[in-house]
Amino acid sequence: MSWELHRVVIVGGGMMGRSLATKVAQEGINVYLKEVSTESVAVAKSELDQSLEHEIARFGLTNAEKKAIMSRITWVTHYDCATDCDLALEAVQEDFGLKRQILRELDRRMPAENPIVITTSTLSITELATQNTHPERIVGMHFLYPVTTTRVVEVVRGQLTTDQVYERAVEFARLLGKIPIKVFEMPGFVTTRAVLPLVNEAIHIVMEGVAEAAEVDLALKMGFDFNTGPLEWADRTGLDRVLNWMQHLYRESSEPRHRPCPLLKRLVRAGLYGAKTRRGFFEYDENRHRTDRLPDDRPRMA
Amino acid sequence: MKILVLNSGSSSVKFQIIETDLERMNAHQDLTLAVGQVEKIGLSDSRLVLEVPERKPFQDYREILEHRTAIEWVLRILTDPEHGIIDSVDEIGAVGHRVVHGGEAFASSVLMTPDVVEQIEECSVLAPLHNPANLRGYYAAHAAMPDVPHVAVFDTAFHQTMPPHAFLYGIPFQLYRKHHLRKYGFHGTSHRFVAFRGCQILVWEREEKRLITIHLGNGCSLAAVDHSRSIDTSMGFTPLEGLIMGTRSGDMDPAIIPWLMAMEELTLHQVNTMLNKHSGLYGVSGVSSDMRELLEARASGNQRADVAFRMFCYRLKKYIAAYAAAMNGVDAVFFTGGIGERSAEVREFALSGLEFMGIEVDPERNQSVTDGEGEITTDASRVRVLVVPTNEEKTIARDVIRVLNGVMPEFTPPETIT
Repeated sequence: MSWELHRVVIVGGGMMGRSLATKVAQEGINVYLKEVSTESVAVAKSELDQSLEHEIARFGLTNAEKKAIMSRITWVTHYDCATDCDLALEAVQEDFGLKRQILRELDRRMPAENPIVITTSTLSITELATQNTHPERIVGMHFLYPVTTTRVVEVVRGQLTTDQVYERAVEFARLLGKIPIKVFEMPGFVTTRAVLPLVNEAIHIVMEGVAEAAEVDLALKMGFDFNTGPLEWADRTGLDRVLNWMQHLYRESSEPRHRPCPLLKRLVRAGLYGAKTRRGFFEYDENRHRTDRLPDDRPRMA
Repeated sequence: MKILVLNSGSSSVKFQIIETDLERMNAHQDLTLAVGQVEKIGLSDSRLVLEVPERKPFQDYREILEHRTAIEWVLRILTDPEHGIIDSVDEIGAVGHRVVHGGEAFASSVLMTPDVVEQIEECSVLAPLHNPANLRGYYAAHAAMPDVPHVAVFDTAFHQTMPPHAFLYGIPFQLYRKHHLRKYGFHGTSHRFVAFRGCQILVWEREEKRLITIHLGNGCSLAAVDHSRSIDTSMGFTPLEGLIMGTRSGDMDPAIIPWLMAMEELTLHQVNTMLNKHSGLYGVSGVSSDMRELLEARASGNQRADVAFRMFCYRLKKYIAAYAAAMNGVDAVFFTGGIGERSAEVREFALSGLEFMGIEVDPERNQSVTDGEGEITTDASRVRVLVVPTNEEKTIARDVIRVLNGVMPEFTPPETIT
């Protein structure tokens, strides 16, 4: 590799940040994972531990590999570590103000040629970068969850992103064993833009009473060989996040087809966010397993 | 001649310097001058270890990002006035490379010409984790030592003499044609060395004998060596087939895999790791993949450790009898590898009850052989059973000498079916 990558800082120890840190550490790269406080570090750390244990129980990981991953992740609560990082990734929720503030903190500390990656699916990276001294080193990467297993990542070129920075982001994607899909910044890029209207349409079908949620999901899942139906996918992603993305998409495009379905808004207002609150379109236990699968939706041979 | 033997993995390079030639080989007097490795290639804290007989082990740390700098580092340390063992790189007369997969192209060790290297590249599809790493080591070593001969020694080559009725699977023939899906077998270098050395100890002509060589280490396999040709071996298309191993399942009903993938909704990756890293002695016992720890747990009454141990020995016993049948009899059985060389319990259990086919273990002899060569059967035993420590690096060094002197035995694979 023309460019050497030893240390990466990831800002945000949420679901995405942890998944990303796991993947980077699995490739043998040292990671600083930044959270806001020692309390939030403790929470994130125990959640990471749980998800790795879960993967061990699913045979995807061994105890030794888990240990190696944990040893490559250093948890921090400040940005000072960014000064000796070759690459930074921001992985906080889809909040323009918050992301912009993180960019400023990173931009101030990191050598000017080192890329800063924004992981967004709907926000404009060009707009996010405007207040930075070096907006040209800002690049977007839209990882799909879980980062450890999904095969693709959208690498997003902003208006000001330099070729060199963009190529490094592509190289980084390859280093993580992912297929980079090169995209120019437009809300939703390819994956989110195509999947959200599908999810939204499925919700409309439920709202109109055409079919029960479970059957809508089953029809799409079995009919098109999806791993999960779109409604369960939305539940697992978090209905609040799905609504947030839809709203961004709608705001940017003003297309009626991007208008969030009222049923989605109703569920979010009621605090039914999906798997993480144990109720959304479907019901889940504390381990995020669905408890209300239809008999036809159980695993079976052929 | 001083030979550099290299075993390159994706993030490590193991090396040895071995002094050998035709005379030393025949007298079993090859000298290992240095043993070492570079670990964690690609990271900032790579480590080099060098062990020279009668010296304190030497260690060094630095950032090594790829194989080329790793090999340069090795050569620099080997020629270091204080820690090294040679004055100049020119003293190295040839390099031997371990290559995992030679496919159907290589039945013996070969000089690495550009054509040969290209053919090894083509075999990468059969061993995507290993061959590319082996080749990275070759390219690096060739860049540093372009004027000396480089020889490739394959894990699969020795088993290329298997006949089609042994190497084909009972699946549609066009899959063999299309993907070269067949049994290849591994540990070939070890099986060949042990067959050779065992007969040397017994002062036998190995061309006349029927041997079973058993390699029990991290991976486990055995081979039926009939008149010095491997005619069957327990590992298959990959090293997953055959015996139960530390963390690998070995033989099982293949229908379990799609069934599990459906019922547990496992991904390809998960089912693969399940079979390779979560199974075997470790998976059954829940205790350890290490035979010593398993035996300790068994001794203290752990039932699952006991059943894992029994499964291991039982599977091995069945294979021993099967391979005796494959050769219409057996003259000697040779044990090797960490478990084969050190675990008297495993040998005793796996051979118990085989008196009907002429194997009579002498319990005291068996107990006494835990380090080095030795015989474990009674004087009256029709089949002789020996422990023969393996030495794959030495075999690689010897093959370099054989290839350079044009005395590499040519094993002709049987005619293939088209």
